Amino acid sequence: MATRSKMPTTSDLVKASISGKKTDFVGIAVAFILLLTVFVSLGILITLLADMLIKGWSVFADRGWDFISSPLSPDPEKAGLSQAIFGSLILMVFVVIVAFPLGVGAAIYLEEYAKDTRMTRFIVANMRNLAGVPSIVYGLLGFAVFVQLLSGITNGRTLISGGLTLAVLVLPIMMITASEALRAVPDALRQASYGVGATKWETIRHHVLPVATPAILTGSVLTVARAFGESAPLLLAGAVLSNFFSAPAGTGVVTLVTEGDYTALPIVVFNWARQPQKEFVAITAAGIVVLLVILLLVNGVAIYLRDRASRRAA
Amino acid sequence: MNVFSVHDLNVYYSDFHAVRDVSVDVKEHEITAFIGPSGCGKSTVLRCFNRMNDLIETARVEGEIKYHGVDLYGGEVDPVQVRRHIGMVFQKPNPFPKSIYDNVAFGPRIAGFKGNLDELVESSLERAALWDEVKDILDQSAFALSGGQQQRLCIARAIATSPDVLLMDEPASALDPIATLRIEELMHELKGEYTIIIVTHNMQQAARVSDRTAFFNVSLNEQGQRTGQLVEFDETGLIFTNPKETATEDYITGRFG
Amino acid sequence: MTSHGTEPSSAAPRHHDESRHHFTEILEEIKDGMVEMGSLVIDNARRAGVAIVENRLELVPEIIGADDEVNLRYAQLERLTFETLARQQPVAKDLRFLVSATRILYELERSGDLVVNLAYIVDRLHGLPESPQLRSLLDRLVGASCDVLASGITALSNMDEVAGRLVDEEDDVVDELVGAFYDEISRERNEIGLEAGIALNRMGRFLERIADHGVNIGENTTYIVTAEFPGDTHLGIRDED
Repeated sequence: MATRSKMPTTSDLVKASISGKKTDFVGIAVAFILLLTVFVSLGILITLLADMLIKGWSVFADRGWDFISSPLSPDPEKAGLSQAIFGSLILMVFVVIVAFPLGVGAAIYLEEYAKDTRMTRFIVANMRNLAGVPSIVYGLLGFAVFVQLLSGITNGRTLISGGLTLAVLVLPIMMITASEALRAVPDALRQASYGVGATKWETIRHHVLPVATPAILTGSVLTVARAFGESAPLLLAGAVLSNFFSAPAGTGVVTLVTEGDYTALPIVVFNWARQPQKEFVAITAAGIVVLLVILLLVNGVAIYLRDRASRRAA
Repeated sequence: MNVFSVHDLNVYYSDFHAVRDVSVDVKEHEITAFIGPSGCGKSTVLRCFNRMNDLIETARVEGEIKYHGVDLYGGEVDPVQVRRHIGMVFQKPNPFPKSIYDNVAFGPRIAGFKGNLDELVESSLERAALWDEVKDILDQSAFALSGGQQQRLCIARAIATSPDVLLMDEPASALDPIATLRIEELMHELKGEYTIIIVTHNMQQAARVSDRTAFFNVSLNEQGQRTGQLVEFDETGLIFTNPKETATEDYITGRFG
Repeated sequence: MTSHGTEPSSAAPRHHDESRHHFTEILEEIKDGMVEMGSLVIDNARRAGVAIVENRLELVPEIIGADDEVNLRYAQLERLTFETLARQQPVAKDLRFLVSATRILYELERSGDLVVNLAYIVDRLHGLPESPQLRSLLDRLVGASCDVLASGITALSNMDEVAGRLVDEEDDVVDELVGAFYDEISRERNEIGLEAGIALNRMGRFLERIADHGVNIGENTTYIVTAEFPGDTHLGIRDED
């Protein structure tokens, strides 16, 4: 009993084993590096934006709306984006009308209907490969098929050819996004629906699609935004690089789409950037700013649609 | 009277022999419990009763299941119609991401229900002992409910298509003890109108709630593969006080494995 | 959703707030079964009393037959209790009730057997000696024993732990009567003879034991409610001699 005072009690031992805070240097270092990556990524983006805004600011300040509404011109003081914006918007309409239903339809078939055979897996694997093909290849395809082979329908180098080329370009991506959205719908939901005696289509229509819609929409809009920024395939599929005379005022949209020459925002930016004159530097920057603003708007719409759809689904 | 009469049922998933030679009779207005360790095939057999296994491409069902004397796997039988007569409640509460009302109304709607849908929704929720809790929030999302309430909603949803059988696949395994006892109490009340088959890994639950208990076990076949088999099927009171098979006794007394 | 009426649909079943209503019903069934079984035993004991005091030997087969019903219920209720223990995982008061039920059922079954034994004795003696004092004492003893058993069963029926504790005091009346009865047998030993003396002595002991079973039922009731046996720690088991 004499030694008792020297013997550590249980609570002494426990205290010794659970106290003594050590600084976790590795943890702190990792957190710091990760934070740094965030700053670097953000920094590059902000620098880019600031650079463009500074360089292009004079254009917006001096010309204002005139820069947006003017047609192309060899004179950098007069050149505007109206034809480019029109062209880009019509191209997007094509992408949405053609690629969206095809992509989503194919995704629904492959995810919900197709049996899991070797053929199905082969098709899905190829779709994934197609999504990785460089866009210039789609440009070649567009040129060969839409501009030349189907010129009877597309009228050659028109917005139709360009729109179809972009639609084919994003189709695999559209399909993969939709597939992933459908796959993310919990199987429990399908089982619940079958469990009360629903058919396959009733299950898809009432339960799977409503749940998958927000993700499909988000993916689709982001895909469209990607198409919006593409220039390489359009160069091959007939977009006009150089300046062209605008159609007479009052020409119908249909005529513009089916007959006229066309260009698009990234094409114009690309073209201006190659010009030797110093004045083109400012309008190139301004053009990029317009391109970015439109992309931001499109993404904003995507977020809005997704929120609305997911509110309705839940 | 037998609602289901199962004779020599075998279920395969591709080459895997999941269930071997099961024969079982399910009596009307009784609660029949399937118990047994994981992989014993109890859920697989349950999913044969409403042809839920049809949804798994690789599944193959052999043998005979008679539902009120009709061959459930006969050529003219439409699995979609079968599921309107034989409702199902799943392990995890899986309400539709819709309003409470629409959850219950969906089944009758797609079945072309012509009567008063409001009344049907109300009586279904009443039967599921949920009406008093949700009558003022019918247009709110089903996800606003607690887990136990969601599961009772799923029972109401199953009842709404006027089935005569309810299949329950571990209906309380995701619930807390109080919610579990409420579901069990509800089953006692429902068996007056429905025939209930419940799969549960909780043998105390089978003991509390069922009239008859089937004990399934895993055995190795000639190729050394694991296969589910029915070991013993009897009145629940006998299974839990005087089982005939040693395997059953070992399992219910916790001396398995 | 204003279109929904507030009247619940009549087709729907009524629901119970209690989450273990079914289990509670089984416990009620067991309790009611024990009370009914107790009534059967008391009725039969009183019938035996009539057979003894009024010398009505024709009642003997009836008494023996009535105990078959008691035994049948004993088997059924014991089985139900047993099954409920296995199936419902009882705890706390429910567990005490079911464990006590197996004991109470035994007390009742033994009481029933003792009644039959009384009838056998009467039958074998072909009637009791014509002693008014002995008959009067026996009559009061049968009545007192039945009263004690009835008090135990009433306490059980009402789940009244105070009444359950008080049964023991009522039993004092029985003990006094048994004492007086033995004295009287001793006093009249020459008139009634050895054989009848032994038979009467056994009757006294059986009646005393029936009352003891009543006391045990009362004490078990107290145990169910309070988790403690009244008085001491002898777990309510009384010596049978």
